[in-house]
Amino acid sequence: METATHLLRTGQRGALFQLQMALRDLSNSVQRIGLSWSLAWHDVGARYRGSILGPFWITLSMGLMVLGIGFLYANLFHIAIDVFLPYVALGIVFFGVMTGTINDGCETFVQAAGMLSQTSLPLFTFVWRTVFRNLINLAHHLLIVVVVLAVFGYWRHIHPLLALVGIVLMLLNASWLSMLAGIVSARFRDIPQIVMSIMQFAMFMTPVFWLPDRFGSHSAVLNFNPFYHLLQAVRAPLLGQAVDLHSYVVLVAMAGLGWLGTFALFARTRRRIVHYL
Amino acid sequence: MTPVSITCTDLTLRFPVYGVDAKSLKKALARVTVGGVLGRHAGVTDVTALQGVNLSLKAGDRLGLIGHNGSGKTTLLRALSGAYEPDEGTIEVYGRIAALLDLGLGIDASATGYENIRLRGRIAGLSSREIEEKMDEIAAFTGLGPFLAMPVKTYSAGMQARLAFAAATAVEADVLLMDEWIAVGDAEFQKLAHKRLLKLVERAGILVLASHEAPLLRLYCNKVMRLDGGVASEVVDIRRLDELLDV
Repeated sequence: METATHLLRTGQRGALFQLQMALRDLSNSVQRIGLSWSLAWHDVGARYRGSILGPFWITLSMGLMVLGIGFLYANLFHIAIDVFLPYVALGIVFFGVMTGTINDGCETFVQAAGMLSQTSLPLFTFVWRTVFRNLINLAHHLLIVVVVLAVFGYWRHIHPLLALVGIVLMLLNASWLSMLAGIVSARFRDIPQIVMSIMQFAMFMTPVFWLPDRFGSHSAVLNFNPFYHLLQAVRAPLLGQAVDLHSYVVLVAMAGLGWLGTFALFARTRRRIVHYL
Repeated sequence: MTPVSITCTDLTLRFPVYGVDAKSLKKALARVTVGGVLGRHAGVTDVTALQGVNLSLKAGDRLGLIGHNGSGKTTLLRALSGAYEPDEGTIEVYGRIAALLDLGLGIDASATGYENIRLRGRIAGLSSREIEEKMDEIAAFTGLGPFLAMPVKTYSAGMQARLAFAAATAVEADVLLMDEWIAVGDAEFQKLAHKRLLKLVERAGILVLASHEAPLLRLYCNKVMRLDGGVASEVVDIRRLDELLDV
């Protein structure tokens, strides 16, 4: 425990001061990152208490979906199963994590209302909680990825370093989207429904269940869809394929601009968020 | 190390009250489409909860807060806990803060007693190891024995209160903020709880206690302040409590 908490707070000292306070919130949350982990583990434990498989239930249902869609679409579209099934498996798992992080983001601050109204815990602590909770879920679903890649022999062709880069880029982007959803949802209670609809729409517009080659890889449907690049950066290296350079450009730019915008919004609304709740 | 202290200077706190309507996106969009000028603050009303509060406390001060419902006592406590930030003025608090404002904080009914103690401890800023070190003492104090391994939802209200109280008061703090003196459980537990709180108060450098009960305030506090509609009186000696109550 800290030996001394020093608080110095004022409301109206201009934008620079608000930015400084927002940065302090961020750095405090990093110093107490263990708390975010504890809360995330508690969430996972709480949700699946008393169930035998725990989070593996979702893994199981994802696995069934992978098998179903894998075999069905492979037949419908006349694609070889050893090409299509791993492709769909990775798509469902990683798109699922993005959707989960962003949808859960809507609840980040609303759920923490009790704690926020009587402690000085950093707001970022709860953003990380949401992200970590989804990471823990991902760790369970990786079972599907491992099995599929092993069964179809893709493990020999994996580019591990690029896959890691892809996952980091995906998390960087999903986390600012999650936080943005959290701030806006705290203020406007219609937002969670809108976010959910958008994510569902995005799932069908993004090549999760279908191969992008029908469009040609530079089609607008793909290129103007950020989720395509996000998914591609993780999936392609795991399948031993190359990722277009412009996908990386898009993702880095998106992460940079996204975090900049979200952080600016956070700096503006930080001291108000507790009143929204 | 800076000595324990609380300093508020011209503390003013306004609550924007977002009406149920204002929370809907429709209203906000409508405002934008009509030009954003018409009733820019429509739906958002500012309520001044605290106005120009000056307060200076140092180690050994036990401040009682009095005032009618809605006079700003709880708001002041929350502001001191760091949850609310002032619109004007400053708050400075040196020392570890423990706010016993809502015992139910972080209590998850579907988790076991042990899990709840851990969660509460983590929120209060204890490390996992520190919690394990204190666990036996906390568990013994609750007197719940084997029930601690069961989900809290199976507890009676009194048992839940015992658990919450034991977990919340396991912290070591320099600044203790309390909204009403917490009296929980049966007569026997109340005695135990009373002793434990006294010990906590003795160890803490500063106590700020909001209460409506004059005898309680006389017992624990050496200073008192009255809030009226967010405006604070001077901090006076507890012997002048009657004067403040009569105003």
